[in-house]
Amino acid sequence: MATTTPTPSAAKGPAPRGAAPVRRRPRGLGGSRGRALNFWLFTGPFLIGLIVFVYVPIGWSLWLSLHNAQGTVTPTEFVGLGNYADMLGDGDFVDSLVNFTIFAAIIVPITYALSLTLALLVHRIRFMKAFFRSVFFLPTACSFVVASLVWKMSLFNGLRYGMMNTVLGWFGIDSIAWLASPHPPWYWLVICSARLWLQCGFYMILFLAALQNIPRELYEAAAVDGAKPGWQTFRHITLPQLRATSVAVVLLLLIAAYQAFDEFYNILDEGRATWGRPPLVDLYLQALGANQDYGHASAGALILALLIALVTLVQGRFLGFGRGDEK
Amino acid sequence: MGNTGLYLALGVATVLFLVPFYLIVRNALSTDADITGESWRFFPTDLQWGNVKELFDDPSVPFAKALWNSTVVAVLHTLGTLLVCSLAGYGLARIPYAHANKVLYAVLFTLMVPAAVTFVPSYVLVSSLGWVSSLRGLIIPGLFSGFTAFLFRQYFLGFPKELEEAARVDGLGYWGAYWRIVVPNSLNFFAAISVITFISGWNAFLWPLVIGQDQSSWTVQVALSSYMTAQTINIHLIFMATAVSILPLVLVFVFLQRWLVQGVAQTGIKG
Amino acid sequence: MSNISRGRDWDRRGVLRAMGGVAALGGLAACGSNTGRSGGGGGSIKQMYHAYGEQGTQQAAKKFADAYGKAKVTIEWVPGEYESKLATTLLGSGAPDVFEYHPDLQLVRSRQIVPLDDIIADVKDDFLPEDITANSVDGKIYGIRMIDDPQFFFYRKSLFEKAGVKPPATFDELIDAAHKLTSGKVKGLYIGQNLKTISKPLVWSTGPHYLDADHRIAYHTDNLVETLTKARELYKSKSLLLGAPTEVWDPASFLQGLCAIQWCGIWAIPAIQKAFGDDFGIFPFPKSGAKGRQVVYNGGWSTYVSAKAKDVDAAKEFVKWLWIDQKKYQQEWALDYGFHIPARKSIAAGADKLKSGVAAEAVELFNTHGVFDDPYWTEGMFNILLDAVVNSVRDNKSPEAELDSADKKIERALKKLG
Repeated sequence: MATTTPTPSAAKGPAPRGAAPVRRRPRGLGGSRGRALNFWLFTGPFLIGLIVFVYVPIGWSLWLSLHNAQGTVTPTEFVGLGNYADMLGDGDFVDSLVNFTIFAAIIVPITYALSLTLALLVHRIRFMKAFFRSVFFLPTACSFVVASLVWKMSLFNGLRYGMMNTVLGWFGIDSIAWLASPHPPWYWLVICSARLWLQCGFYMILFLAALQNIPRELYEAAAVDGAKPGWQTFRHITLPQLRATSVAVVLLLLIAAYQAFDEFYNILDEGRATWGRPPLVDLYLQALGANQDYGHASAGALILALLIALVTLVQGRFLGFGRGDEK
Repeated sequence: MGNTGLYLALGVATVLFLVPFYLIVRNALSTDADITGESWRFFPTDLQWGNVKELFDDPSVPFAKALWNSTVVAVLHTLGTLLVCSLAGYGLARIPYAHANKVLYAVLFTLMVPAAVTFVPSYVLVSSLGWVSSLRGLIIPGLFSGFTAFLFRQYFLGFPKELEEAARVDGLGYWGAYWRIVVPNSLNFFAAISVITFISGWNAFLWPLVIGQDQSSWTVQVALSSYMTAQTINIHLIFMATAVSILPLVLVFVFLQRWLVQGVAQTGIKG
Repeated sequence: MSNISRGRDWDRRGVLRAMGGVAALGGLAACGSNTGRSGGGGGSIKQMYHAYGEQGTQQAAKKFADAYGKAKVTIEWVPGEYESKLATTLLGSGAPDVFEYHPDLQLVRSRQIVPLDDIIADVKDDFLPEDITANSVDGKIYGIRMIDDPQFFFYRKSLFEKAGVKPPATFDELIDAAHKLTSGKVKGLYIGQNLKTISKPLVWSTGPHYLDADHRIAYHTDNLVETLTKARELYKSKSLLLGAPTEVWDPASFLQGLCAIQWCGIWAIPAIQKAFGDDFGIFPFPKSGAKGRQVVYNGGWSTYVSAKAKDVDAAKEFVKWLWIDQKKYQQEWALDYGFHIPARKSIAAGADKLKSGVAAEAVELFNTHGVFDDPYWTEGMFNILLDAVVNSVRDNKSPEAELDSADKKIERALKKLG
């Protein structure tokens, strides 16, 4: 995912200075065989682990998805694509996929905009930079469980002693049971604010780092050309320079949105609210939990993985993921 | 936007971002009656420092032990991940090998797959290795993060090539160049990744819950969950446990965040 | 020992909890800590409990285990997420040999538990017939009931008097009472937020159980449709406590004076007594419609032996020793740490704690209005019907249409399990 524009040295091939002119071959790694050996030496331990602890389970899941695997992970009854057909024919699961495509379309731009705004603000100031950076990054230390706890038990508690209700009370407004019913859909406010609080700081750091890497000369040159500081420079210099980071951030956010589980599960009544149910919560309730229906669970999870890969690919084509890499 | 405007905006954002922390601390140091009382109290009338003692004295939840376990696991998890993933990242970024791109895509593919897909088979696999209830069962399966390896690759792509090549010419080979030149010059980035990895190790919940067997092996997250499922919820204890569980991370952040930004600035995720 | 049905009914919070957070960081896989011993070798038995809330229970479980002479018994005490942890561990090689759970056809069909007829045969009559039936599939007994935990409504007597309300006997009276008892800061009724718990008595109060004797759908009646419609009206009125942070297994909302009536269970009696003295009473879920019945839900826990146990016979022998022979321990387990009804009639008969006051009333309700779980009704079916209830009551959807679509899915599940 992320990425791209390799740095000049990577993009341009052999560095022009230093070692390059020396034609003498470095000892011990001559030839493609030596390079292959070294490649496997470096990546071997990781790849073995990845195969054993990630690919084998993925393959196992794939196999389970083709079987009737209730209450067992060594099933014998082959059902072909039956589980997939069941999942795709199941209105609730398909609904959750559709809902979460909408959710992603909303939460991703908001998180993107907010993180970038914070980064721009922090980048501009001269004093207390470290302080503000810390403040916005601090929520990253909290797990989704912690956030759900604070949100549900204290901040958006539906009773009079919830903080939001206390604030409303000061204006004479009745307490709102934020999570009781989807009419009106207050639960989106609760969920989205928790997600923004947890995530923005991390992406802000990515943007901040990228902002630091924009060469000053670009701004100076723009100023000479008569560009006004503010929107114009942002539009024509900052934003294009942030393209690679933006692609990476959007990609990470998309994946995170589709894989949402914790805060929805915890805040929305252990997943019992039938609205705003993400695909993973739906799978959990239907199959992964005590129901032990691993065949359907695997089929559903793999459909979700395919959807994520697809969205990622489309987003990549659209925003230019990997262009730098292909050189 | 003028300077005043900037600081004003940042000030407002700061307040909003700190509210949840304020709530955690306020609730942690209150009595339940203060928290659920009819009128809002900004601060507890009496700071209940006794809540700290109550948390650590509770015989049914070994909280101090859980803190220690989490520390051990998060540290080993971090060290292991750094070692394995940085080597892989370097190999992918720097060693010209015909099939390197295919390997890279295989690594990236794992990011698309939700953990739910692999959880149950992973557990069965690890348990059949006999690793249940052991440190290796808790730590080793988590070391192979495609994301971290990918971040390292992006970083190493941007590492000045000249330095290494000089070293290799001196007869160090890839291996020697990596350890003598690349690593010592990349400490910022390693620090940044450590922070991110440490958080994930510290906040992990489901794997420790399933792999850990007796109470003496609970991590902080598992202990925290036991407070939430107790018979009658003690709001002050839950929040005190929460406060204590995030404190180490907050400290790590406050002291290491400078490196974090610098480190991230050196990744491939940049403009 | 806390809420009985915790594993099945109320508490699954945070499952797969780590995943979202971890995924947000891009799939850094979950990892955590353990310094514990490795699984037992020969001659050892692993026994798994969910984490009971009462002080002393864990120590008691350990004490019982240590007292067993024939094998080394180790205890695994699981906080939260008991159900999913059990489901997962049963698949691997670290699986418990003996564990507590609820009757579930699924475990039998996938051959995860073994019949216990031989060890219970001699004392079968000392258990309630319903507790035996609830653990029987195809005529074989798979579980031994450890404790019974009835659930009912708690109410404040003083508030009832002030509002001139009597304990309601019908659903309409309950709704009426909820309206009358609602005043300013106190809501009339608390039935939980996610409806997971209340959905059981709500359905049963209309007359039938989920399934009939031939394991066919029985819940779908006009009476249920009508009851769900009324429940929706109640939900929309301002008389229901909504937005409380804890579910109904926790008496906190009642104790904080946020509501006049709350659904909860026998385990809450000591805490409520401490707070309100004599100023509280209990009543069953009132009947709905002419064909309806009053309902007390009899939850509880039973013990099972894993089919994958290292030594099935040794595990069965241990279960017989602890849950059949050691009546002293069984009594201690049910009565010394909290309030539960011992599963053995002979022990329950001698339990002084349950002979007076509200506790005695609870036992009486248990005996007259108790409804037990049906082992043929699986977790999957429960989830499907619960969705229909939630959609009807909390989300304004048509009960008839919701039940029709639930029927289809449940039919499919029934067919699959045979």
